[in-house]
Amino acid sequence: MEKTMIKNNKNFNKVSDIIESLTINTNPDSVAVLEEIGTNSSIDEVRELTSKALVRRNEYNSLSVVIANRGKGINDMSTVVAMSTINELLSLDNKEEAMRVLENTISSEGFDEEVKENARSVKALMALS
Amino acid sequence: MSTIEKITQLSHRIFNTSVSENNVARSSNPFAASNFQKNILTEDVFESSKKNDNKVSFTGSLTAGSKRIYSTLVGSLGNIGDRFYEGIESIVAFCGRMKEGVVNTWNKIQEIGRTEVSFGKIGEMIKGLGHSREKEIAKMATLDPHSEVKPMLVEHLKALEADLAVAA
Repeated sequence: MEKTMIKNNKNFNKVSDIIESLTINTNPDSVAVLEEIGTNSSIDEVRELTSKALVRRNEYNSLSVVIANRGKGINDMSTVVAMSTINELLSLDNKEEAMRVLENTISSEGFDEEVKENARSVKALMALS
Repeated sequence: MSTIEKITQLSHRIFNTSVSENNVARSSNPFAASNFQKNILTEDVFESSKKNDNKVSFTGSLTAGSKRIYSTLVGSLGNIGDRFYEGIESIVAFCGRMKEGVVNTWNKIQEIGRTEVSFGKIGEMIKGLGHSREKEIAKMATLDPHSEVKPMLVEHLKALEADLAVAA
């Protein structure tokens, strides 16, 4: 199904609304639901929406999901999802929390070298923006 | 014969084609042999039958050749008149069609007006839809993520995957 077709799908619009509600939900468990269901979806558009929602929450936990996890957010195997997440990070008004997550990811020993490399690149971009 | 009578006679001869036709038959006008659709005038239209110093002269110093040319020109004026009349007729017909078109358009506008569909109303409807969506999202944002929102998300994701499978 083409991207324009999926965006006209009734169920996609409903999923989009639910993800949107989890973005503004003050309950911290929202992050766990987004990570468990949204970022593990087989549909690129849903992963893209979820990653952007996690960035917009602008919390340490939500940002960690899209920055420090292999195959999620900026490390997603889909270029569209990864680039959309980076774009959302660059669009943040307050980048302090994101920079903190990026620095911790780069300096920590527990992450893959690929994840650290991506975090370095994004940090460089955010410093320039 | 007075001047007014002469003019009346002249105009009668110009516009009465049957008279002209009769004259053609007995005149020596070289153009008479040609078919000018009975509009040809004989050159003697410009000639007076009596020499009178008091009468109005229409010929002036015209030569016989130029008289023929002018008589042909005057004859052709009949055609111009017909064309002009046809032109008026076509203008009348055109105006009639325009009037009919305007009336039809006006009736259509009236019909559309009765349904009361306006861009303002469409805009309000779209805005209303946007507001209802926002309200729904705000309502869902108050629900418990694990017990209430998660099942909904899973359900609609499964439905979406099914739609995509059908489309593929």
